[in-house]
Amino acid sequence: MRDFLLGLAFLIGGGVVIAVAQTYPTMPSLQFGPSLFPSLIGGGMVIGGLVLALTRVGQLRSALAGPRSQAASYDYRGLLISLLPCALIVFYILTSEFLGALPCMALGMLILMLIRGAKPWLAVMVSIIVAAAIYLLFSRYLLIPLPEGILPPQNLLAW
Amino acid sequence: MDAFLQGLAMVFNVQTMLVIVAASVFGLFVGAIPGLTATMAVALLVPITFYMDATPAIAAIVATSAMAIFAGDIPGTYLNIPGTPASAAYVGESYRLAQKGRARETLGTNLLCSVFGGLFGTLVLVFVSPSLAEMALNFSSFEYFWLALLGLSSSIFIAIGSRVKAFLSLTVGLLLSTVGLDMMSGAPRFTFGVPDLMAGVNFIPVMIGMFALNEIMMFYGSRAEARQVPIASTDSVFRKAPGHLKTYWRNMLRGSSLGTLIGALPGAGADIAAWIAYALGKSRSKEKEKYGTGHIEGIVDASSANNSGISGAWVPALVFGIPGDTITAIVIGVLYMKGMNPGPTIFMNGGGQVYALFTVFFVANLIMLPIGYLAIRASKVFILTPRKMLMPVILSFCIVGAFAINNSITDIWIMLVIGMVAFVLARNDFPMAPAILGLVLGSTLENSFMSSMLKSNGDLLAFFERPISAGLGALVILIWLLPSLIRLFRRRRSAPQPSHKPRSS
Repeated sequence: MRDFLLGLAFLIGGGVVIAVAQTYPTMPSLQFGPSLFPSLIGGGMVIGGLVLALTRVGQLRSALAGPRSQAASYDYRGLLISLLPCALIVFYILTSEFLGALPCMALGMLILMLIRGAKPWLAVMVSIIVAAAIYLLFSRYLLIPLPEGILPPQNLLAW
Repeated sequence: MDAFLQGLAMVFNVQTMLVIVAASVFGLFVGAIPGLTATMAVALLVPITFYMDATPAIAAIVATSAMAIFAGDIPGTYLNIPGTPASAAYVGESYRLAQKGRARETLGTNLLCSVFGGLFGTLVLVFVSPSLAEMALNFSSFEYFWLALLGLSSSIFIAIGSRVKAFLSLTVGLLLSTVGLDMMSGAPRFTFGVPDLMAGVNFIPVMIGMFALNEIMMFYGSRAEARQVPIASTDSVFRKAPGHLKTYWRNMLRGSSLGTLIGALPGAGADIAAWIAYALGKSRSKEKEKYGTGHIEGIVDASSANNSGISGAWVPALVFGIPGDTITAIVIGVLYMKGMNPGPTIFMNGGGQVYALFTVFFVANLIMLPIGYLAIRASKVFILTPRKMLMPVILSFCIVGAFAINNSITDIWIMLVIGMVAFVLARNDFPMAPAILGLVLGSTLENSFMSSMLKSNGDLLAFFERPISAGLGALVILIWLLPSLIRLFRRRRSAPQPSHKPRSS
């Protein structure tokens, strides 16, 4: 089922790539230009996606005809939790300028540790110490301009 | 001679030696923790190597990868969970040996085989690369086009599992390589008006997304937290290991040569080398029946092969700029950034730099002995490090590491998107190596094709006019046709059987 959907996704994605590639200019000395490779890649995606989807049609039919136990047993909770690190990255991107890199990292790590059942006191301690260590390593030793934030506690920690 | 001494001086100084030791310990941790791979270790290391000179930066990568591949055997032996995919082939064998109370003896043998394999691969690198480079000096865009295509093709045909999925994975990498300004016309492609994308997609955030964020998501998606060490081991690390090596020296030599060769093939890394070496070792063994029951011979071939594969992968990476595995794919990016452009000229203009690189390989492999010995004695520390505390730390490194490349938030977005795509693909058994190769080789393929077409006024036959180019072209076509030929051969062999049967009966 998932392979079939992925095949379709590649098919559509390939079509979009080809369509976008057609808008690129051609080179005067040759019949082709910057659009050639993206078009070939798009073509490959369409063909590969089609083959993948078609070879899974049989499985799809039997899955749809059979009992729905497989779909019911799918671990949606696990999938949602696996998206949590991504959500925390988005949180970092959106708030680090304001909150500062250090508290954002510490908060993200704390949430991730707690969700997998780490002891709260240990999680708080480790996340603060590690966030401070990473912040110092990158901003002081490697001179990366990590966002310092505008909140006073952050400025205090940064100094 | 001057260049050689200069190379030695670049390695044997306090800074580089400290970097090698620190990188080995880092590789040890990452390799010994199940779920963290050697490629992930290298991807996380790159942002830090940015701020080092070329020699310590490369030393850090070599030491980390070599040590991580050995360290993968530690949880494999104690927990039956391979620390890295490269240990998966013989994990059953080493776990059963550990159950018999021979864990340290097994790991000691693993360590010696890993060191031997690594040194063997290094010797091949030292002796083969310069002569290959001399040949490669005559290569033009036609040959590089076929070489890039050869690399991409073998990454699909060597991949374990579905070839269609490997091909689709490759298209993802190739598509990423087209982002940015077109080299020939200067037209922006797939940049969506984002200025940071004009220079193309930087590979480091992609690597971090593909190998680190993807693993973190996998970890949170599962509920596994294996954390008991049921096996107590008090045996000696090295007492019996030399005896095993004496008995199975042929296996060690065979595994190392096979590993180097497979490592040098683009798309096939240490894991595939280990699987093939284990299978070959078993088929050639006089005691086949003992395989799978905890037989030390079963680990010699594969344990040598995975470490020699790591060194072997550097041969095409250095000589042609075509990575032999995912680690060297990252290395190529680092070499470019350090001004050591991979290609045959690296051996001509490099001066002491090339000798420094070779020396680094010897030192990194030899230093595995003492550090590996201590690691075996203190195995429990690595195995019991809880992943629930480590994964969040790695996520923070991912964010800061991706940002550090260009000090740009766009790179964090790239890491995030690629990590999510890789997660979906990896969960559905799409191999990742073709995508990485596509990203690394995509621009070589396109640029060499375009400049060849300009040289030949659009004549496609020009790709077969030069002898080496024609030979490489024929090899690529052979690789494409190989699966069909094998199928045809098998069908022809199996077809006459039914007609023979009645006659014989």
